[in-house]
Amino acid sequence: MLVPLSWLADWIELPDSVEALAESLTGGGLEVDAIERTGPDLSALVVGDVVEHGPHPNADRLSVCRVDAGDDEPFEVVCGAPNVAAGQKIAFARVGTRLPDGTRLKKSRIRSVTSMGMICSERELGLGDEHEGILVLDTDAPAGTPLADVLSAGETILEIAITANRGDCASILGIAREVRAHFGAAVRVPTCDPPEGERAVAEDLRVEITDPEGCHRYDARVVRGVRVGPSPNWMQQRLEAAGMRPINVVVDVTNYVMLELGQPLHAFDLDRLRGGVIRVRSAEAGERMTTLDGVERTLDPSDLLITDGGGPVAVAGVIGGGDSEVSDATTNLLIESAHFRPGRVRLTAKRLGVQTDASYRFERGVDRAGVTRAADRAARLIAELAGGEVSRGVATATGSTPDGVDEIALAPARVNGLLGTALSRDEIEAYLARVGVEPATESESESGGGGRHGDEPGRYAIPSHRNDLRIAEDLIEEVARIHGLDRIPATVQVGPLVGGGAPRSWTDAERARDTLWAEGVTEVMCFPFLDPRDLDRLDLAESDPRRATLGVVNPIAESHSQLRSTLLPSLLGLLRENRNRQIDRVRIFEVSRVFRVEKEGELPEEDLCVAAVLTRSDQNRLWEAKTEAAPPLFFEAKGIALRLVSALGYRAELRPGAPQPYQHPGASAGIRVGRRVVGEVGELHPDAAARFAIDVPCAVIELSLSALADVPRQEKRFREVSRHPQMQRDLAVLVDRDQRAGELVDAIRRKGGDHLASVEVFDRYEGQGVPEGKVSLAFRLVFQRVDRTLTDGEVTKSVDQVVKMLANQFGGELR
Amino acid sequence: MASRAPDLDTLAQGARTDVAGAGSLQDLTSVRARYLGRKGSVSDLLRGIGDLPAEERSRVGQQVNALKVQIEDWVAERRAALESRERNRHLEEHRLDVTLPAAGQPLGHLHPVSHVQRDMAQFFLARGFSIEEGPEVETEHNNFDALNVPADHPARDMQDTFWVEGDFVLRTHTSPVQIRAMTGRTPPFRFIAPGRVYRHDFSPRNSPMFGQVEGFAVDESVTLANLKELLYAFAKHMFGAVELRFRASYFPFTEPSAELDFRCPLCRGDGCNTCSQTGWIEWGGCGMIHPTVLRNCDIDPERYQGYAFGMGLERGAMLRHELPHIRLLYDGDLRVLEQL
Repeated sequence: MLVPLSWLADWIELPDSVEALAESLTGGGLEVDAIERTGPDLSALVVGDVVEHGPHPNADRLSVCRVDAGDDEPFEVVCGAPNVAAGQKIAFARVGTRLPDGTRLKKSRIRSVTSMGMICSERELGLGDEHEGILVLDTDAPAGTPLADVLSAGETILEIAITANRGDCASILGIAREVRAHFGAAVRVPTCDPPEGERAVAEDLRVEITDPEGCHRYDARVVRGVRVGPSPNWMQQRLEAAGMRPINVVVDVTNYVMLELGQPLHAFDLDRLRGGVIRVRSAEAGERMTTLDGVERTLDPSDLLITDGGGPVAVAGVIGGGDSEVSDATTNLLIESAHFRPGRVRLTAKRLGVQTDASYRFERGVDRAGVTRAADRAARLIAELAGGEVSRGVATATGSTPDGVDEIALAPARVNGLLGTALSRDEIEAYLARVGVEPATESESESGGGGRHGDEPGRYAIPSHRNDLRIAEDLIEEVARIHGLDRIPATVQVGPLVGGGAPRSWTDAERARDTLWAEGVTEVMCFPFLDPRDLDRLDLAESDPRRATLGVVNPIAESHSQLRSTLLPSLLGLLRENRNRQIDRVRIFEVSRVFRVEKEGELPEEDLCVAAVLTRSDQNRLWEAKTEAAPPLFFEAKGIALRLVSALGYRAELRPGAPQPYQHPGASAGIRVGRRVVGEVGELHPDAAARFAIDVPCAVIELSLSALADVPRQEKRFREVSRHPQMQRDLAVLVDRDQRAGELVDAIRRKGGDHLASVEVFDRYEGQGVPEGKVSLAFRLVFQRVDRTLTDGEVTKSVDQVVKMLANQFGGELR
Repeated sequence: MASRAPDLDTLAQGARTDVAGAGSLQDLTSVRARYLGRKGSVSDLLRGIGDLPAEERSRVGQQVNALKVQIEDWVAERRAALESRERNRHLEEHRLDVTLPAAGQPLGHLHPVSHVQRDMAQFFLARGFSIEEGPEVETEHNNFDALNVPADHPARDMQDTFWVEGDFVLRTHTSPVQIRAMTGRTPPFRFIAPGRVYRHDFSPRNSPMFGQVEGFAVDESVTLANLKELLYAFAKHMFGAVELRFRASYFPFTEPSAELDFRCPLCRGDGCNTCSQTGWIEWGGCGMIHPTVLRNCDIDPERYQGYAFGMGLERGAMLRHELPHIRLLYDGDLRVLEQL
């Protein structure tokens, strides 16, 4: 809300400093977002005294003055204005000062007399068009006083953010009440009662409410014989400063009073209302009306309507109808001031997509005792500014009682118990009084009023405009904010220590992050959205569960219209973007949730996942380059995946299985923990890479931390360490090129029995010396027992058995 | 065969000169052989002793043996010197240019928001808070209604919401975790709920996703003063000594409610672009849990009371790294993330 300070100053005495005012309002919950000053910048100018005035020696129309501007010596100034005279107080600009139009005043010689400054006209000050004569100040201020102190130019406007509970502050009156709460001055409410004529309002109108749930009260005033023209300048200026556009005197008065009192008003052309009746009712299904913005709207039974004898004339609290709008031809007026149920206005405004200054205030609730006052005030101002005669009385009808309470019980102990303060009853009541909350009088309350002593609960009367005050805690907040939250002490909480733990999902995610960044992979965080076309780019089958995505109803863009069922597209997108930024080597990961519709109508399953995308650098680095050819990218990814799972406390195996459609079919494997596949490692399929516009080979790791958490974690158990020497034998075997080394390792392990401590592949070779279609696999076997030293003969026998087994089972031929 | 008394001094002189002159371990070995080997000069002498007259044998024998020991000492001394020279030469040859780059790959980078989240968790875990997590897709009930934000109240407009099929929402704050954590539990308890939240706001200066940490504690006599102490300590943990400001405000789920600002650490209150010239940086909201919220979680507000707070994670990350705007955290630009 925009609050012009001069307007507020009419209602309450303000502190000298705008900044102090803003700070108090902000601290108390009305955040002043900005202090805006309009009008010319007069800060460089001062009040000057014309001490001498004489003719110019060389020009009849000019005069030469001596001006005291509070400096040691007066200035000699040439002036062309006819109205300048000795003894005047004037607005003076010294040579070198910046004038309101932005130019800097230079020393000038005018017909051989040097002018050392300027006596300013209204136009030169940016205050108006008057430029024939100088501006003569009506002030006692001594020479040298800053001009801004004596000349109010422009306006200071506070831009205040009003929280959703404080509809009562959406008015000058409301802000004035807050100023009172902080600074204590009294609020000056202007006279509202209109002078009434002889004709009774009932001659023109009666009011009925047929939907009392939706309408608490409806008041109508009639003013007859007005002349609709523009409103006076002062009113237009204030409306503009408050951010409203002046229209005509009638509309301007309704807006002006709404800004003053917070009560929205609507003016109808009385002669265009049919049947002499205003009926407040709910709309019929499918009912239509054209609102004053020219839009034809279809209504819903939840909408509340203002109707006349013929049909709807306004959507209650939201927007008026075009037919009954006040025009220049209007002479007789109906001024509506009503109180509609906040929730109803809100639903209709939301449904119609219309938010008006009226609906804003009705949604937040208006002063339930202020309806008639606003109608009176508007009628008075219209009669004053547009002529016409106010009919006698108010046509009124009441519906349901508005929500809100009249009294709240509160004990001082409760205040201190919640805030941690030690305020006395008197202090508490003094703070409450600042916001208009007084001890309820005996007559209003059976259980006795406030103002009691000690710790007995008192009962406090709630002012009608504070519909946000409902329970004791609301009053405690009032005490806290007027006392000042900064003055509440800070004390250590005392109580049993309960808890202090983190769930598995948290610790697993943290461990995954730590492992991956130590592996040279950088964490990214992506939005949870998915472009549905990305599922096609991944080539996922129609039956793939990742196709069962959850849609966003109001997405930012079509490319963000689903929730992610896989993290891959986000990471592949970032890979592409970073390649476009000329980054050679991209290694990124994300730990995040994916969403999966498990059962229609229930919340989706959220699986915590890790995904990483790795490229290899094109430029070999100094050391790695020359020693040996780097292994295929897959094996780097495999290593990272295995170490990741290991860091999470599991032993994983990578087994070739059914490749994902986006994986290279020959360079991919499932991550198996126990019997479960918990993730995937693979190089990206060249087709998928092309569809994601990725120009470099890359490998992808996917791991579901949620799936992993379902696998029981095996504690690592101690195995006895052998004191006996180990014996090592290396075997190189020729097998078919397609033969997987892992199967051989498993077979060797089984065959080696108790003697074999470990076996690993240490070489794979094809090429010269190896027949076409074959590959040489070299294994290192380590023999060792815990209980005794193995003899050479025993080891040889074991090796022979292994060799025989390799020959029989795999056609393996010792090299 | 006539024999003359051997000139031991001459022999000793020669041996000493030859040992000292040996330029390598190999030379030294042959010098040693020349004197002490089976066919060496000293061995010859020893063999010749038998030919000497009996009265001289013992004396000469002693002298020759002494010479042998003497030569062995010289050889050992020389060997040590030669070995040490050899080692030094070897070390000299293997001198590295240690300014060449390190082997192995560089570390990756933890996301700045993860970092801040971790720092926060560390503080609260030490203060006896447990971490609680909740879903990112939430029911309207948990995200709004149970938190005292009814559909027909303008407080709903405080948060621009992403709606998800099935009348669900992407949670707009971490507060629904309050509902999940409190329902079915008996106080006392203290929780934090860190996580991602979403607002329908996509502009160069705003992100539709951001991190938040929610915290709350319920007991019989928890006060706003306790909340203040906690947040002062928390701010100190995150930013070092810092000035805080509590402003009255409105949240439907707390009463009383406050906004929490801290003094801009960059300009120290003079006003700069980071704090939009206000000297203060908005950090989060806090207050005493609204009795309606407690009641919605089957906790008796007549007996129990609690505080709650929530703050964004990005502010901390942006301040720590002097990032000018939030989107830099979520653009995934490695030129940015690999700096941090």
